[in-house]
Amino acid sequence: MLEIDGLHKRYGDIVALDGCSFTVQPGRMVGFLGPNGAGKTTTMRAIFGLLRPDAGEVRWMGEAIDMAARTRFGYMPEQRGLYPKMKVRDQLVYFARLHDVPPAEAHEAAERWLTDLGLADRMGDPLESLSHGNQQRVQLAAALVHEPELLILDEPFSGLDPLGAETMADVLRQRAAAGAAVVFSSHQLDLVEDLCDDVAIIHAGRIVLEGNVHDLKTHSDRRIVELDLTDAQQRVVAELAGVLDSRFDGRRHVITIRRGTDLRALLATLQDSADLDHFVFTTPSLADLFREAVA
Amino acid sequence: MTTLQAIRLVTARELRERARSKAFIGSGLFTLLLLAAVIVVPSLMDSGEETYEVGTLGAENPSLLVVAETLARDRADPDQEVTFTVTRFDNRAAAEAALSAGEVEIVLIDEATMLREGSGGFGGSSIEAILQRAAATVALEETLAGSAATVEDVALIFNSEPLAVESMAGADAELDDARSIIAYGGLMMMYIAVLSFGAWTLTGIAEEKASRVVEVLLATLRPWQLLAGKILGIGLLGLGQFVVTLAGALVLIRVTGAFDLPTIPVDSAVTLVVWFVLGYSLFSVAFGTAGALVSRMEDAQTAALPISTIAILGFFAAFAVLGNPGGVVGRVLTFVPFTAPFVVPIRVAFQEIALWEYLGAIAVSLVTIAALVRLAGRVYAGGLLHFGARLGLRQAYRSAEIR
Repeated sequence: MLEIDGLHKRYGDIVALDGCSFTVQPGRMVGFLGPNGAGKTTTMRAIFGLLRPDAGEVRWMGEAIDMAARTRFGYMPEQRGLYPKMKVRDQLVYFARLHDVPPAEAHEAAERWLTDLGLADRMGDPLESLSHGNQQRVQLAAALVHEPELLILDEPFSGLDPLGAETMADVLRQRAAAGAAVVFSSHQLDLVEDLCDDVAIIHAGRIVLEGNVHDLKTHSDRRIVELDLTDAQQRVVAELAGVLDSRFDGRRHVITIRRGTDLRALLATLQDSADLDHFVFTTPSLADLFREAVA
Repeated sequence: MTTLQAIRLVTARELRERARSKAFIGSGLFTLLLLAAVIVVPSLMDSGEETYEVGTLGAENPSLLVVAETLARDRADPDQEVTFTVTRFDNRAAAEAALSAGEVEIVLIDEATMLREGSGGFGGSSIEAILQRAAATVALEETLAGSAATVEDVALIFNSEPLAVESMAGADAELDDARSIIAYGGLMMMYIAVLSFGAWTLTGIAEEKASRVVEVLLATLRPWQLLAGKILGIGLLGLGQFVVTLAGALVLIRVTGAFDLPTIPVDSAVTLVVWFVLGYSLFSVAFGTAGALVSRMEDAQTAALPISTIAILGFFAAFAVLGNPGGVVGRVLTFVPFTAPFVVPIRVAFQEIALWEYLGAIAVSLVTIAALVRLAGRVYAGGLLHFGARLGLRQAYRSAEIR
């Protein structure tokens, strides 16, 4: 289990982390969300010892993380980078070796990953000769080649085309299924909602929402109603008890109500709607939860 | 993974990738070719025979020409064929035409003036020197007229071996030659090695930062391990290139017989290797630190300027020491860490250094390297994850998060 415990970090007057705490269980995929500058990259760097928190600790399996533990972690930083002139296979072998994989296994793993990612015929080519998308695949392979127990990825989906994103999602699912703890940050909330078991939302250096995506949604004190309304109806609805917000998203009216609100008053306003095409009553989406959490 | 394993991995990558790179192979081949040209070309032009073509105009003294021919034959190697021809010209126009056409090298006018086509070249031509000496010999012989000495005897006295020189230290002359070659050659090699391999360290580190691969590396390596592995790898490679070039040069010299090799004294050879390692380490750590301060390759040279300047100053300071290896300047610079790698080998070559000075200089260098590695490791750590404008040294030192 990864435990991030009360991390504080200041840079001069800027507070980057302000008591950031959350945990990640093995075999779980966690979306690490937050607005720009909330402290996501700082937290990830603290896990890898790339910066020293002013206070707090990061633990893996109950113990403070040292270099030996980090050889069992995989990291894909936000700023991608590999050796441009180094051959793709050699590059992966080197990263595997840096993570304590014996030479023969390192070779075998490098070739297996490249084959799995569809780069079997590019193994001997220098990285810089590959397309942008293929370089991203190699970068992913570099984080995975030693089969890490903990995988930390900073914005792994940014810049990927839909096919690339699908490959990335598949690989991450496989790793989690194989028992690894997977943490990644992303601004694509619908993707996170599909992919992740858990989320941790960070805002201004502290975690404002953490837990199982499904639970967070059902335990939310809000519900969403999506329907077609006339302007007159909308004015009536907005005044009803329990309605927190009412807006038009371009196609439909989206009404946010308190959980447990009596829907009869709402439905009564629809009595004279002859042809109601669309009516959705649902838990808030992850995007709704995110908006609420960082408001 | 132990520290040693980590450093070995970095070193091995550095060796493999650089040894394969076109830049490395190209520069190595270029150096070898250049050396080959320097060694082989002169010995090709040195064609087993020596030809002197002299013209005369006006009054002529036959004995002067006889003496000149004797001198020419005497200075040639025993197995060399010597052709000495004399052409008489009736007028200056004919002489000048023959000079322009290259039929004669020089025209002796009235035993008093030598006419040549253009410049005599660097150091003058050998025929000029021969004729000068022949004229002096003939004059001397006329003064000595009546004595038993012949013109040839006098000429040979002029041409005889220079006086032998002996040193109180007991070294023979050949070894003395070797020592000054070592002093000059060693100084040049040290300077080139420090600057060129130092530049490799600089760009190697700046490259890792520019390509952002460093963040992944530092997740499993400590900054100083990365620095040490890199310096070791580039150092070994530099040493390798150096040894290959030197061996190539020695083989070529042996094969072509271009010139006689002096025997290199053991103390000088050992000193060169020891100080190559010390000097290279010292400057590489400094260059590596500079490389960690920049984010773009374009800024690397600027960041390294203070270090290159120190190397150049050390090099020129060493020239002062060449003239007076036992002097005060040499003694002082022996204990200055950045000049010692240049100065100590010179003083050893001339045997003008006391044992305590030698060991003291090594101690100073080792202490400086150790201190510099600590400083560099910290600056490196502070600088490596800072992207954007070039960092100041102090700023990088302060912001270091990992060690």
